Amino acid sequence: MSKDKTFLALADFLIPAHGDMPAFGSVCSFADAQKALDFRVDLKEGFDRGLDADPASSPEAHLEKLNKEDGAAFSAVTTIAICTYYMNPRVRELLGYPGQESVQYDSKATQIYLTDGSLGHVLARGRKYRPTPGL
Amino acid sequence: MNVESLSERGARARRDEEVDVAIVGAGPSGSVAALHLARAGLSVVVLEQGEWPEYSDYTGARPEHELVSTKLWHPNPNVRDNPNDYPVDNSTTDINPLMFAGVGGSATLYGAQWMHFLPSDFRVRSLDGVAEDWPFSYEDLLPYQLEIEREVGVSGLAGDPAFPPRGPYPFPALPIGSVGLRGALGMERMGWHWWPGSNAIPSEKFGELNACVRRGTCLTGCPEGAKSTTDRSHWPLALKAGARLVTRARVKEVETNEQGLATGVVYVDANGRDRRQRAKVVILCANGVGTPRLLLMSGGARNPDGLANSSGMVGKRLMMHPFASILASYEDPLDSWRGPFGQQVYSLEFYETDERRGFVRGSKWNCMPSGGPVGVSGAIGSKVYVAEEGRFQDFWGANLHENVARRFGHSLIWGIVGEDLPEESNQVVLSKDLVDSDGLPAPQIVYKVNENSNRLLQFNIDRCLESVHAAGAIETLVSTPVRESGWHLIGTTVMGDDPKRSVVDQWGACHDVPNLYIMDASTFPTSGATNPTATIMAVALRNTRRMIAERRNQKVA
Repeated sequence: MSKDKTFLALADFLIPAHGDMPAFGSVCSFADAQKALDFRVDLKEGFDRGLDADPASSPEAHLEKLNKEDGAAFSAVTTIAICTYYMNPRVRELLGYPGQESVQYDSKATQIYLTDGSLGHVLARGRKYRPTPGL
Repeated sequence: MNVESLSERGARARRDEEVDVAIVGAGPSGSVAALHLARAGLSVVVLEQGEWPEYSDYTGARPEHELVSTKLWHPNPNVRDNPNDYPVDNSTTDINPLMFAGVGGSATLYGAQWMHFLPSDFRVRSLDGVAEDWPFSYEDLLPYQLEIEREVGVSGLAGDPAFPPRGPYPFPALPIGSVGLRGALGMERMGWHWWPGSNAIPSEKFGELNACVRRGTCLTGCPEGAKSTTDRSHWPLALKAGARLVTRARVKEVETNEQGLATGVVYVDANGRDRRQRAKVVILCANGVGTPRLLLMSGGARNPDGLANSSGMVGKRLMMHPFASILASYEDPLDSWRGPFGQQVYSLEFYETDERRGFVRGSKWNCMPSGGPVGVSGAIGSKVYVAEEGRFQDFWGANLHENVARRFGHSLIWGIVGEDLPEESNQVVLSKDLVDSDGLPAPQIVYKVNENSNRLLQFNIDRCLESVHAAGAIETLVSTPVRESGWHLIGTTVMGDDPKRSVVDQWGACHDVPNLYIMDASTFPTSGATNPTATIMAVALRNTRRMIAERRNQKVA
């Protein structure tokens, strides 16, 4: 089996369709994974090693073997799979994740904890620190 | 003039030039010392083994953020694998030390949680009968704390009853968001202390610092230039005042003369060549691991056990704040990828000693957002709340989708920082096997989490679970003690009045070498339970002011 087919088989086992969420292979390609790998050249060796063996038995058995015998390869394959998936615009849209966004706010706005009484309760419970003058 | 062009002005001293002060390290303490010494008219050269930060390398605003930051911006230098860092031998420690080499120091990767030590932190022997009192008090340090806050650009809300009364912070507190409000709700329902977070992140533009936009990637470098680090808060001013900064300069030895006085330092430059920087005074600001490492490398034939080490205390009493975390998920949305990351609210409910709990001293809790989908999945990486055991299938397949659906956007993290009591067996030594990229011995950490810390963490975890459940948590994940949590490196060149039991005096001057100073957290007699950067910078300012005032009485070679 070619590396791209091996990877997609493993990735679809790791990230199958579930509820509203698509399987890895429905929204991401092997090329997407390779682009992700370009951000993490430290993973390339392990990634290639993880796809070397033909997962003849099953993706699960192959991953189980990798996890037990070659942790670096397991980590590389799974890291690239999950990060590629959650970088995908369609997946982010389904999750409602805009990415680490910029949020504007009014720094001088009165915060709700000042008006709803909650911080007043903290103050009403009194001093917490132990004074030390003279020690 | 912007920061980048100012940095070009940091020129190396002329060959054989003797400067008034050479400082090792351009992190929080070294930057404070450099700025104020230069403003006082002293000639200052700072040697920094890392480089200026390149803000375009911070990936927080880009889709690949979670993929890249777990390597490039990992706080463990062994994972980051950047040749500007030195590796650390972690084979004999329960907790890995975390640090970063560069202008701005390890604060490049801090959460910017800005907390003073409390009054009791300076009097633990008098109040609780453990460790030692500090040579000075909370009240002695407070004026320096407030001055540093203005230099750093701290946001916060004054009036917290867990501290003595104080004036306002320079900037209004950052919004606490849905995460902070939910954290506060749990504390309210328990009747416990909480307060809006104080952070070294201005909520309005301040000098070279931009206003926070809640990007939420504080721990992996702020792409907005909003998190206060000294490359932006102090260095533009220090360079204008005449301080010189040499980057990629790894100091390998503090040199002394036959009278035992420091004469300067030897460093390896960017091209791998040894260079000498002569100085009347040397200040070490290389953190609680790097500073003792340098002293242990500097002994020479006259001091085979290390420089300034007649007490035998160099490297000992390492404190790293054993840390636990609780991730709590809720039914309703919390927009929990939004920042600030450091602390939206905090609690000091269990900070002070209560002997009925079965341990001494206490903890600080900080409530943080939980971040993006990869992190909350628990499937990869080193997020502090990821379980280290278990079957891989628990994190993948349908479980992956269900875990992410339950946690992503719906969860918060309470981080529990426990006070770490000093023990001489917890220490920094030189590795016999591991070396850095210049062939210098790496530090080895010998550290065990003690029984007091284990009891402290378990008590606080139990209380925290009560709080998050009171606020409606539907799932909780606990991690304790978190191995990748040694952000706070404290105590390894302890200050004190007795030269037989301490390395430096209360002003940071080494008992053995009076023109050699230490101004980082290595000198702290105890660790408190708050994030130490505020205290590190305040103590550095106090020491620097004293040095300037006493400059004519300073003994030099």
